[in-house]
Amino acid sequence: MDYIFDGIVQAIGLILSGDPVIFEVVGLSLRVSGTSVLIAVLIGIPLGILIGTREFIGKRVLLRIIYTCMSLPPVILGLFVFLILMRQGPLGAYQLNYTPTAMIIAQTLLVTPIVMGLTYNIVRDRAKDVGRLGKTLGGTGVSNVFLMLREVKGGLVIALVSAFGRAISEVGAVMIVGGNITGKTRVMTTYIAELRSMGDYSQAIAVGIILLLLSLIVNTILYQFQQRDEK
Amino acid sequence: MKLRLNNLKKSYGSRAVLDVERCEIPSGAITGLIGPNGAGKTTLMNIIAGLDAPESGEVLYGLKDGSFSPDLPKKAVTMLFQTPYMLHTTVEKNIAYPLQLRRAEREVIKRRVKNLMDDFDLTPLAKNKAWRLSGGETQKVALARAVALKPELLLLDEPTSNIDNTSVAVIEKTLDYERNKHKMTSVIISHNLAQIRRLCDYVIFMHEGRIIEQGDAKEILSKPADPRTKAFIAGELLL
Ligand SMILES: Nc1ncnc2c1ncn2[C@@H]1O[C@H](COP(=O)(O)OP(=O)(O)OP(=O)(O)O)[C@@H](O)[C@H]1O
Ligand SMILES: [Mg+2]
Repeated sequence: MDYIFDGIVQAIGLILSGDPVIFEVVGLSLRVSGTSVLIAVLIGIPLGILIGTREFIGKRVLLRIIYTCMSLPPVILGLFVFLILMRQGPLGAYQLNYTPTAMIIAQTLLVTPIVMGLTYNIVRDRAKDVGRLGKTLGGTGVSNVFLMLREVKGGLVIALVSAFGRAISEVGAVMIVGGNITGKTRVMTTYIAELRSMGDYSQAIAVGIILLLLSLIVNTILYQFQQRDEK
Repeated sequence: MKLRLNNLKKSYGSRAVLDVERCEIPSGAITGLIGPNGAGKTTLMNIIAGLDAPESGEVLYGLKDGSFSPDLPKKAVTMLFQTPYMLHTTVEKNIAYPLQLRRAEREVIKRRVKNLMDDFDLTPLAKNKAWRLSGGETQKVALARAVALKPELLLLDEPTSNIDNTSVAVIEKTLDYERNKHKMTSVIISHNLAQIRRLCDYVIFMHEGRIIEQGDAKEILSKPADPRTKAFIAGELLL
């Protein structure tokens, strides 16, 4: 049992001393997942709003697909992206595998459906009511779009934060397309897996603690907004 | 605002739910729209409010200069629903929203909102979260929000069906006051015939998408001509 306790003590020491390796890994994690979520938000929110406010043929099928993609195992997605980016693959010429760019692509594909699906859900619930209110109060097309955004903004933050939580904590996709290369594509989750296999528990726990702290922050924000956004 | 309805038709699938040949709704009066469930009252009101489009026919809106326009005068018409949607903000800001939309001056908005909250006994709730209010409070905020616009036509779809008597009284008093003071025209759908009797100058009875009878409220309510109106008013089941 001592090794756990010792591990935790050493881990805190490592964090407090600002261990460069740890912070490099944390930095890359934040960069990769942050960029992915940003792209996912730019794509997913407008599309989610569009799907939530419009009727069109094939909507139900599309929603099925989005919902399925929301819970896609990261490993499968990683494999898919890896195959596409492979030298012989359709996008092989760019030689992106084992780079942070490939990791960003994989995570973007992983979280865009989450942002889109959650945006769709909240917009669908309120679209009719908000649209009706805007119209009956004599609003214009533009003012009604702003009204809608204002009414769903809590839900949009929830979508964003959920997507970030998912991206920062997944291992499968970044491991397959990134390969956990020291100083290049090593992120928190893959690093923990590597440290475990090398038996370096204190370093693993240190990274784990940071990851947990990030999760805690993410969930606190989520909880705050969920409370505020409740109907 | 006077309204003329010409040949309004609407159906879902093969079922006609609205078929109104001609109807005129008087200006500066309170009109009660009554009839059994599924008669097409809400459908008609949504069409008047511009929320729904008829398959054929038109609604003509009487303008101040006496002419009629087929286009909805958006800024002069508003509608109140049975369960109004509250913006995710305070009571105060809900009432201020339509005024902001009209780009009213800050001071004007402040004063108007304050007066409205006093009128509707909402002052103690000013800073409350609007979406957490009770049914009656919600309805009062929605009415204050609608009246803030000084509409010429106010449409109300069962505004008082699940609220207590004091709130009902506030709402009725408002319609009465706005009619007398500002010549506001209102059309109210209600299943409460006592309320229709108290409030309305004019009554329209609908049944299966058609207007069966319309006219002076006292007359229709006391001596309905059509047996279906008679039965409805007597509270009998319609066959
Ligand atoms: N979107 C819709 N699709 C199919 N049928 C509809 C739709 N909306 C309304 N209807 C039908 O149209 C008819 C008229 O409905 P409407 O809501 O206007 O009735 P109402 O007079 O307001 O009734 P209530 O007193 O119950 O509110 C009903 O038979 C209803 O089932
Ligand atoms: Mg109705």
